[in-house]
Parts: sequence; C-alpha cells; structure tokens
Amino acid sequence: MENLIPLHLFTQVGNIVLWVLLISATVLGVSGVVNLVRPLSGSQRLTGYLFILLTLVFLAGFGWISWFHYQVYLHLPLELPPNMVEYLNSKLFSMNRGAEYGIPFYNPGEPPRYMLPLWLENEKYYFWFMCYALMALLGHYRLNHPRLRGALHILLAVQVGILFFAANPFVDPLPKFFSAVEPWFVQNLQTGQRFGLFMKLYPKMVFYYNAEYMWFHPPMLFLSYACITMTFVTSLFMLVRRDEAIETMGYDYGKLGFFMLTLGMLLGYPWALKAWGPNWWWDPKICSSIMMWAIYSTYLHTRLYAHRPFMWYFSSVLGIVCFLAMLFTFVSSFFFPGEHTFV
Amino acid sequence: MNRNTKQMNPGNKEMNSRKSQSLDYYLILATVGVLFALSVICIFGMFYFKFAAVQQLQPLEKMAYMARMNQVVVPFIIGLILLLGICVPKRLLSAQWLVRFGVALGVAGFGFSLWLGVTSGLIVVLAASLILQLVVLILAVAGSKRLHFEKSGYWVRVGSSLIHLGFILFVLDLLLYKHLSLHLFLFWVTTGSSVLGMLCCFYSQGMAATVSKFRGH
Repeated sequence: MENLIPLHLFTQVGNIVLWVLLISATVLGVSGVVNLVRPLSGSQRLTGYLFILLTLVFLAGFGWISWFHYQVYLHLPLELPPNMVEYLNSKLFSMNRGAEYGIPFYNPGEPPRYMLPLWLENEKYYFWFMCYALMALLGHYRLNHPRLRGALHILLAVQVGILFFAANPFVDPLPKFFSAVEPWFVQNLQTGQRFGLFMKLYPKMVFYYNAEYMWFHPPMLFLSYACITMTFVTSLFMLVRRDEAIETMGYDYGKLGFFMLTLGMLLGYPWALKAWGPNWWWDPKICSSIMMWAIYSTYLHTRLYAHRPFMWYFSSVLGIVCFLAMLFTFVSSFFFPGEHTFV
Repeated sequence: MNRNTKQMNPGNKEMNSRKSQSLDYYLILATVGVLFALSVICIFGMFYFKFAAVQQLQPLEKMAYMARMNQVVVPFIIGLILLLGICVPKRLLSAQWLVRFGVALGVAGFGFSLWLGVTSGLIVVLAASLILQLVVLILAVAGSKRLHFEKSGYWVRVGSSLIHLGFILFVLDLLLYKHLSLHLFLFWVTTGSSVLGMLCCFYSQGMAATVSKFRGH
C-alpha cells in the first residue's frame, strides 16, 4: 500500500507527536502526584504552560490524522472495470427492490471513495483522550485548586500512557480497514473475484465508513466520556470535602456530558435502523449504554437535592458510578459480542 | 373571621408547598429506583446475550429473545410512565389532586390494558400525559405563575417541559416502531424537543442573554 498512500511518513511524524505527548504527560503526571500529596503553589504556572503545550500537540496530531484520511479519500477509490458497471448496477437494482434503505448505484464518472471518520479503531482513543485534555485544561484554569489540578494531570498522564503503549494510532494505522481493502488495491484479482470483493466492501463503505451518522454518533459519545471523567474527578473530591465550587464545576461538566450522551445515543438510533434493521434490540452495547444513561440521569436528578447532606454524598457516589459504568460500557464491546463488536 | 382566615392562609400555603416538595423528593427517589431496576435488567441482558450466544442464533430465535426481554422490561417501563404521568401534572395540580389524578390514570391504564391489551393501556396513559405536558409547555412558554417547578427561571421551566415532552414522545414512538415513516418522524420530533429542552434547561442564563441580545435589550 506504501506506493498508494504515505503510510511510512504518517507513522514517522505520528510517533514524534506521541513521544512529545508522552514526555509532557509524564512530567505533568509526576507534578500531579506531588500536588496531590502536598500542593506546591510555585509549580502552578509552569504546569499550566505545559498543559497548554500538551493540548496543542494533541490538536496537531489530530490534524495529522485528518490529513492521512484525506490521503485515503484521494488515493483509494473503489474503481471497477467499465465492463462490470452495467452488471453491477442491475444487481444493485434487484437488491434495492423492497429494501427500506437502498445502496446507491455505481457511477463510473465518480467512483465511490472512503470518507473515513477521524475516530476509527485506535484513533477513537486518540480523539477521546484529546477531548479529555481540552476539558481538563478548561478545568485547570477554572479553579485554582492544586490538588484538583493534580488529579486531572494524573488522569491525563494515564490516558497518554494507554495511548502510547496500547492504542497507538500511528503505528500500523487502521489495521482492520487496511486488511479489508488491501486485496482490492494490491492483488491481481479475476473479474468474478473483484466483483465479489466489491460487493463486500461497498455496502460496508455506505452503511459504516461513509455513514453520515459516523460524524455525530461516536464523537458525541467520546465527548460525553471526557465530561464523565471530569465529573468523576470532582465527585471524588466531593466525597472528601464539601466544596461548592468543585461541585458546581462537576455539575457543569455533568450537564454537558449528559447533553452529548443523550444526543449521541439518539443519533445512533436511525443509523441502527438503517444499517441493521430491527435485529439490534437488546444488543449488549445498547443495554450497557441505556444503563449508563439511566445512572447519569439519576445523578442529575439527585443533584437537584445536593444541598441535603445525604444527597450530597449520594450524588457524589453516583458521579463515580457513572464513570465506572462508562468504563464498563466501553469495555463491554470487547467482551460481549454483538452488533457493536467490530467498532 | 376574615382576618383569621388571612392569617391561616400563608401557613396552609407553606404546608402545601412543603408537602409538594417532599412529594417531589419521593417521586425522584421512586424514579431513581425504577432507573436502577432498568439498569439491572440491562446488565442481565448483556450477560444473557453473551452466555446464551444470542449473536449466533437464527433470526427467529433472536427475535424470540428480544420479545422475552421486552416482556421483562415492560413492567418497569410502565412504572416509569406512571411516574411520568404523575410528574407531568405535578406542575399544575396540588399534592392532593395529584395523587387522585395518579390513581385515576393508573386505573384507566389498567382498565384499557385489560380491555384492549397492554399496548392500548400504555397509549392511553401516554396520550393523557402528552396532552397534559403540552398544556404545561404552553403555560411555561406563556410564563404562567401557576406552575410548580423545582427550580425557578423562565428558560429552566420551558426546558424542563420540553425534555419531559421529548421523553413521553420517545416512549410513544417506541410503541409505534412498526410504522416506519411515522416512527422516524416522531423520532426526530423527540430529538428536537429533547435537545432544545436540554439547551434551555442546562444553559438557561446563556439562553436568556442570547434572547435579550436578539431583542436588543
């Protein structure tokens, strides 16, 4: 594939980005531990600058991923030999008959191209953690609270560590996508084989990779995950001390997160109808998402009575349970096979 | 005599307000309980899905699994709808009338379920809630002082009314899933109502500032 798109260049530059992220996150993490144990007022300005630098590098890396996806769009069209077009369109015509959602016909003038969303495979972790970095940066400057800042920094360091060691999107980029499309571009296929492969790749392109919902459903959920992480940190502090400013901050992130989660989940609904038909109810991921939404909704309801001593702690515990439910929901895709398993 | 009555009225009002506040509190606790039960069913569904290898089943068996799970969840959805049926008119009625209304709604829903089936019973409860919620929304938009809300503020009230309207529509929409066009239309109305409601409710100050800026105040 190297002769078609600049994979090597993408990996090289991406690795530099990740190394810079790792080094700055490690420094932030260490200072976070120190601040959590014994707050240091002198280091606050320095850690603030470092945090800004780290977030900017995160954004630059995201720009680099966008550039790579544009290369995929430009250089990897699914082009069919002219003699197969008529046969293919007649097949698509008979397939579309009676279907609720049809597959578009093949236009030889404009062959279908991949418009890959920016949160596929390992890239989703990158996007998720970048969202957290942005939220945590806002939190860092909103409250001058060294211990809270320390906790935010430690969590960021943990996330960058996961990205570097376990979910690097730059080393071996998009392995599932490339292993699926590689035969099309690399192998010398017979006409029948090419047609068969096209019929495998094209529907997945239409209903998954190029689906318009892909640009709304997952990123909104990842944004909500970042907000839930912020609420989690503030809830931990609420358990230790009754601090109204921290509680208000947690609630603000809670509201944004709930907004994103609800809208993200709602936008997944018509997409599921389109891509899977009615066969997706009670899918494990849907179950766990509804569970998470129910807990989050409970958190916001109890928050109305946070002035009562019991509800203050109950709402804090729910903020923590929300975070655990989020982790459980995310991890469930890997351990509970269902329609979302391949995502 | 008149004087005495005048002196008693504020006390009664306060008592009523306390009563309605504690009723609100218990309604929220009951909602929390039902949401918790729904979460437990969801977790059960996940493990069952994995260990019974539902993913590998034939479509018909899969549909049977979904129907079974729907049956398990129905009582709790009904519970949630009934709670919603009480939560919606609480904006309009006093605590005493609210309980009477809740009981009447429950009896009507149960009666229709026995007569025409569970779906019809649910539709009756939802339709009554929908009409009341629309009245609440109109009163909230008109800025009526007669409504009882946990939080004050024009945009918070409008937002809360829209969120509840969205939720009622969503449940109603789930019952109509076989009619795809209507289903999708209602779904987008639900989404619009919920999104606008959350924006008004969560960002009421920003909303008020934007509107007054737009009006040139």
